[in-house]
Amino acid sequence: MTDAIAVRGLVKTFGRRRALDGLDLTVRTGEVHGFLGPNGAGKSTTVRVLLGLLRADAGDVALLGGDPWRDPVALHRRLAYVPGDVTLWPQLTGGETIDLLGRLRGGLDPRRRDELVERFELDPRVRARAYSKGNRQKVALVAALAADVELLLMDEPTSGLDPLMGAVFQEVVREAAAEGRTVLLSSHVLAEVEALAARVTIIRRGRAVSTGTLDDLRGLTRTTVVAGLADAAGARTALDGIAGAHHVRVDDDRVTLAADAPALDAVLGVLAAHGVRSVTAHPPTLEDLFLREYSDELATLGVGER
Amino acid sequence: MTTTASRRSAPGRVAPAPHGPLAGTGRLLRLALRADRWTAAVWAVAVAGTAQVSVVGLAGLYATPADLAARAALIASPAATALAGPGYGLDDYTLGAMTANELGVWLAVPVAIMAVLAVARHLRAPEEDGRLELVRSQPVGRAAPVAAGLLATASEVLAVGVLLLAALLTTELDPAGSALLVASVVAAALVVAAATAVAAQLTTHARTTNALGLAVVGVAFVLRAVGDVHGPRSTSAWSWLSPFGWSQATAPYTLDRWWPLGVSAAAAAASVALAAVLVRRRDLGTGLLPDRPGPARGRVGGLVGLTWRRQRTSVLAWGAGVVLTAGLVGVLASAVVRFVRDEPSLSVLLGDPGDAVAAVFGLYVVFVAVLAGAYAATAVGAARADERAGRATAVLALPVGRVRWLGTQVALAAGAATTMMLLAGLVMGAGAALTLDDASQVGRLLGAAAGTVPGVLVVLGVATALVGLVPRASGAVWSYVAYTGTVGMFAALLPAGADALSPFAHLASRPGEPFDAGAAVAVTAVAALLVGAGLLGVRRRDLDA
Repeated sequence: MTDAIAVRGLVKTFGRRRALDGLDLTVRTGEVHGFLGPNGAGKSTTVRVLLGLLRADAGDVALLGGDPWRDPVALHRRLAYVPGDVTLWPQLTGGETIDLLGRLRGGLDPRRRDELVERFELDPRVRARAYSKGNRQKVALVAALAADVELLLMDEPTSGLDPLMGAVFQEVVREAAAEGRTVLLSSHVLAEVEALAARVTIIRRGRAVSTGTLDDLRGLTRTTVVAGLADAAGARTALDGIAGAHHVRVDDDRVTLAADAPALDAVLGVLAAHGVRSVTAHPPTLEDLFLREYSDELATLGVGER
Repeated sequence: MTTTASRRSAPGRVAPAPHGPLAGTGRLLRLALRADRWTAAVWAVAVAGTAQVSVVGLAGLYATPADLAARAALIASPAATALAGPGYGLDDYTLGAMTANELGVWLAVPVAIMAVLAVARHLRAPEEDGRLELVRSQPVGRAAPVAAGLLATASEVLAVGVLLLAALLTTELDPAGSALLVASVVAAALVVAAATAVAAQLTTHARTTNALGLAVVGVAFVLRAVGDVHGPRSTSAWSWLSPFGWSQATAPYTLDRWWPLGVSAAAAAASVALAAVLVRRRDLGTGLLPDRPGPARGRVGGLVGLTWRRQRTSVLAWGAGVVLTAGLVGVLASAVVRFVRDEPSLSVLLGDPGDAVAAVFGLYVVFVAVLAGAYAATAVGAARADERAGRATAVLALPVGRVRWLGTQVALAAGAATTMMLLAGLVMGAGAALTLDDASQVGRLLGAAAGTVPGVLVVLGVATALVGLVPRASGAVWSYVAYTGTVGMFAALLPAGADALSPFAHLASRPGEPFDAGAAVAVTAVAALLVGAGLLGVRRRDLDA
């Protein structure tokens, strides 16, 4: 099976600004793919190129096996898009908007529409001008998720939703994935991406700096270990001798360190030899992975390494 | 903001903290003026430039007392009066009297429109898109945004006035009269601006505010037209219901009286006071007219349905304006004929009376067609506004091609503008047929109106081409609309060939001239090329937002 999205060396410039600078992105058919990067890294520009709204300056873009710039209409029949900043026609109600978008698509499942309206607790009789940001986003989500499509392009789809609706969103996306749909999910809510995505791509200044499954990415990075020890000072000396143990710190009888995956065995051996009273070890969260890619920028912002 | 304030105060002295409902007005005013400086400059140059060229043109065309007397006789006709003024100084027509009578209202109307747009932009748009919420969370008084918006509008109107006065002072006109003329133009705009500020408190949307303000301009123009036809020299009560009527009652260069501007000042002050009361009574982000819940199910039928729903109000409002104007002109037909018959000297100037009617109606038909073209420009402008707001993306991310997206909106605008012109021709013809007791006028004037449709489509084509090819300059279509209007009404005053780019100059001037099928086909082809270029352009370019 071909990949749902295959982008190679994508370049897009706006005047003198290089928004995308040789971006690679592969989304396999049927997976939920997290697309991460801070504001201005090029996430939305990528999505807009994928939608055929912007023309790529260089590089190859294949979406569902087609070229989104040349053949947008046929491809759009097979995908749905949820923007982060939803603007609607002020004089239409939410219900009218959902049905209009469905009609322009060529029909959507009315049962599914009603079910989604209920689950997202959307009042469809309100005119769009009176909706809050979150409610406008729900309109776009219902319209997209009620459509029978292969691919969902979501650009920060939950930025205005409350935590309860965020949970509903996660459930609905899991159902979509279970039905075999492909989802490209760009988001700042890293816990959400961690909960949903099988693979992630982290981009920076228009380039992908890291891509793979969460396990792959975790394997490349360090596990944080905190242990209460009978002989913390002795453990410190031993730990300093292990190449893969970093940032060793001792507070009274507690040792904190970050360990590379290959060094974990040796680290745990040292700890065991110094009288373990308590231990926690947690793999890096997606947030840790993300911030690691941006550690130099964090440093210039005056934020210490995590 | 705070840093600016503290930097400006002397070291060691704390600037007094602003308080009260007007706190922060000064800073908001500076911000508004900064944002608007180019818009205001373009309006000022356009108005002052048109005035200067027109006055010089009039002076050249009507150099001798005999010419002026003939012009006075022509302009005294009811049909001309409706589009000019109350006719002060017609017995001894001078360049000044002519400028005040014939140009005055055409300077006041554009400045008033500028004021309406500025009020909606300053008072309602920031509240609608949420900017005002941010501003009001600062130490800024409740009335400050309204006060700053109105002061900014007034400053812009005054800036136009200053440049207009400077332009008039370069001509041979009496400086005192010019000062009064400019003051009356400024006064009318300020009255309309204050009335729009009241409208801005009633509605939630900048668009509705705009529509209400422009309706005030339209009604005020019609009131003074009816009044001036009924009673020359401001003797009709109708004229005294209109801000333009008050301004024209000053009679610059002839009676030179300032007191009618007292009425304008009182009306503006009353409107501002009313707006201030209303702004205290409502919540941020709301209007006094409430939103009602709508249907939970959609009945909007696809792209055509959406476009119609978006354009409905605009089509009906512009359509009503176009058709009513045409009806008014039609009803005045008998007055034109009677007038030409009673003034045999005019036939020297205009040919036989039958042709005089034809010539006058040829001018009116173009005037109505320019209005229809202005509607077409707003319709295509709405597509660009949707693109910038991101609403177009919602549609274009669906299986909807760009050509279909823009084409539907252009096609609907073309249909609506054509319908407007045909209805306008029918109503104008019916009015003329009734008052002249000549049923053949219906067919003649319907044909004349239909003959201008290719020109209206060229305006539509220019709007489409700009959106497709140079979207950032899509507002330039308004310069083109203003150009076709100016050369349509004042071609005789302008250098030869100045109207070469107006489609109406290339179509036969009907009903006076026979229908020129070749010209109609050629102009329609130009319109089709422009629309085609626009549709092709929008398919090839990046979309904004």
